[in-house]
Amino acid sequence: MAISANVEYRLNYVIDAVVQPSMTAVIELLLWLALFQGAAGGTIGGFTLPYYLSYALWGAFFARIASSWMYEFRMIEEIESGSVNGLLVRPFSFYEYYFSQLMGYKFITTFVSFLIPLGATLLLDWPAQMDRLPLATLLVFYYLILVHSISFLVSCCAFFWNRIHSFTVAKNLAFWILTGELVPLDLMPEPYRGWVINLPFASGVYVPVAYLTGRAEVSMVWNGFLSVTVGLIAVNAAGALLWKKGLRSYVGTGA
Amino acid sequence: MSSDAIETRGLSRVYKSYRKPEGVWNSLKGLWDRQTVEKTALQPTTLRIAPGQIVGLVGANGAGKTTLLKLLSGLITPSHGDALVLGHHPWKRESAFLKRVSILLGQKNQLWWDLAPLDSFALLARIYDLDLAATRRRVQELTKRLQCDHVVETQLRRLSLGERMKMEIIGALLHSPDVLFLDEPTIGLDIVAQESIRDFLAGYVRSRGPTVILTSHYMDDIAQLAHSLLLISKGAIVYEGTVQDFTRKTESVQTLSVRFAEDLAADVRLDGDLHLAKGGKEFHLKIPADRLGPVIAELSRHGSIQDLKTEETDFEDVIKSFLATESRLL
Amino acid sequence: MIRKYLGLYAAFFRASLIADLEYRVNFITRIVTDIFWYVAQIVTFEVLYRHTDVIGHWTLPQTRVFLGILFVIDAIYMVLFHDNLERFSDRVRKGELDLLLAKPVNSQFMVSLQRASTAILGNFALGLGWLIFSLSRLPDFSWERLLWLLILIPCGVTILYCCRFFFTSVAVIFTRAENLQFLWYQLYKFGMRPDSIYAPWLKFFLLTMLPVAMIASVPARALLDPPEPWLFLWAAVLAVFLLWVSHRFWNWCLKQYSSASS
Repeated sequence: MAISANVEYRLNYVIDAVVQPSMTAVIELLLWLALFQGAAGGTIGGFTLPYYLSYALWGAFFARIASSWMYEFRMIEEIESGSVNGLLVRPFSFYEYYFSQLMGYKFITTFVSFLIPLGATLLLDWPAQMDRLPLATLLVFYYLILVHSISFLVSCCAFFWNRIHSFTVAKNLAFWILTGELVPLDLMPEPYRGWVINLPFASGVYVPVAYLTGRAEVSMVWNGFLSVTVGLIAVNAAGALLWKKGLRSYVGTGA
Repeated sequence: MSSDAIETRGLSRVYKSYRKPEGVWNSLKGLWDRQTVEKTALQPTTLRIAPGQIVGLVGANGAGKTTLLKLLSGLITPSHGDALVLGHHPWKRESAFLKRVSILLGQKNQLWWDLAPLDSFALLARIYDLDLAATRRRVQELTKRLQCDHVVETQLRRLSLGERMKMEIIGALLHSPDVLFLDEPTIGLDIVAQESIRDFLAGYVRSRGPTVILTSHYMDDIAQLAHSLLLISKGAIVYEGTVQDFTRKTESVQTLSVRFAEDLAADVRLDGDLHLAKGGKEFHLKIPADRLGPVIAELSRHGSIQDLKTEETDFEDVIKSFLATESRLL
Repeated sequence: MIRKYLGLYAAFFRASLIADLEYRVNFITRIVTDIFWYVAQIVTFEVLYRHTDVIGHWTLPQTRVFLGILFVIDAIYMVLFHDNLERFSDRVRKGELDLLLAKPVNSQFMVSLQRASTAILGNFALGLGWLIFSLSRLPDFSWERLLWLLILIPCGVTILYCCRFFFTSVAVIFTRAENLQFLWYQLYKFGMRPDSIYAPWLKFFLLTMLPVAMIASVPARALLDPPEPWLFLWAAVLAVFLLWVSHRFWNWCLKQYSSASS
């Protein structure tokens, strides 16, 4: 019955890194194909179909990198179950421990999973400027620090409320809209367009992918770095505060 | 049809598992070319259990107790042989059969976690097509006997382990099963809870007379409840007899741990087969309970004792030593 | 027989409600969580329709109706089945399946329906609200068309259940089947878009072999397009057929289970 755990483990990894984003991309590609059949003039928002196909493809893979479910759940669980006690005596802080886990995992995943859009865009000659890939990737990894900080903030809430899990789901769904995975944010009507593009969440998918596929220029990327930095400062300040307060209440109850 | 409640003929169970290959390539190869490993969980077993009998099933972990229990309750299908429980082939899981048996797994909940037991019992009454008013009376009667009528309206998750087990037992008895399979009904409970459950079960079977198959890690459960005993070892029934016979033949063995203040200066031989090597400081000895006193007295003559501890030898060792005295060691 | 099961289901539903009322906050968190999901679906199409008039062959008001149907069917499915099927592989791992199998009730029924998620009734109301709103914005909609839904929504829910159930029951054989569950969600996404956006061959595939397009697209078509009696008949036939297949498949899985588990 049990196919080797070895294969299962690798299968997990392959599904997470390759199959899932590939399928998401396929579903989005199909939507854009249908959309262009109805669009007059062959362009939407000034761009032709290949631009959108390239966006949808890269978007699915960037979105995969820019989201963290598993580690956030683990962090919450650890605080809820009280086994954070064990972490407090480790040489790492709780924050650093999960940060290194997340980053390590994402590094490996990125390397493997980018092969798919890379191959597809080269093969199909979709617009994607490869010389822009390093900076785009750098931005999404910088954004990942913010994602982790938010995860930390959320898991700190577990000191005070149980059932914070459902908040993770709501939060990630909200990010789903705000990152631009669903539609390129520049298609939104003003004034929303300006708001969402300047929020740090756009740096998860929209900014790097728009830059990569030629929808945006490098100034938007610098803007993204700036806005993530502001987000990092705010979220980490709140996180540090909650962590301190949480530990105090936690020690106080002796739980 | 026989008049026995449970009858098996050459009933056996073999598990097939697949060998876990090493490395990626072999793992992939294993997807189409799997090497099977067979493990016999239960060797061909022929049994007859008369109605109203309470049979204790005893054996080490992994000896095949649970396999036999699951075979008889229909949760797994036999590899070979045949079994009739109340005239049914259990693995067909016919409704008529399931309504007359009950299985209690000591480490699992069948009651709903977020509901008060009373609500769970009402659901069970529907599942078993029982009359609701009669069920309520039965619950009252059973809770009274178990002295837990005060907890039936509290959600299961708020109850202690012992209370929860009592509720599970009531749930298992609601439909007055003719055959009752109890798998470790007292596992993990404190002595008081163990005792009260044991007393309750003893009283219940006396007054209702169901056929019971009981497994337990605690010899006390078996000794107090069972008429007869089946000893399973490595998938085979190696002993069938009365409980009295079994307890008479097993000596109670204790493990004695001793630590001397200084290393032993010379080899020590205690009467017979115990041997303490020179230069050691800490020793663990297995001794029959009646020799404990003399041995300790003897030990104190060979050095100043810093720490001394005795422990009941675990059940598996008891079985092993029993099998040895029966000279049927496998 | 049917009366017993109806009575039993009523009892399960009542018990679930009692249990859910314990965590009243859940009613709110469920809605709050799912509002984001609803908003994501709606925003996607609202934004896209700013740049085009039709997607597939539906206009914005029509696609809103499609989303309404999707929300309603998804909510019904969630209330009835979600919790049961979601926690199923956990149950198998913990050995709780054994206790279910020892009950004198159809095990597929027990596995699929014993726990209703009544907290999601709020979502159902929300989805229904959106559906009514979208219908009211539809020019010259003839309301008697809603009668189709009496057949097609139950068919849609049944087909959704059966598809999901296949993925779930595999957990009986492979205890670590989380990946398959992920796969299911990806496939279900095909059904979350109007089927008219797909190329004909793919659409055919999604209406037959992997019938996720039958879940929401077909009921929506009954409201929006000229009636296609054959298609609706197919929905009914398929629902019954899949239910039968799921029953056979479940029994097959149980056979594997009881001859393999320890």
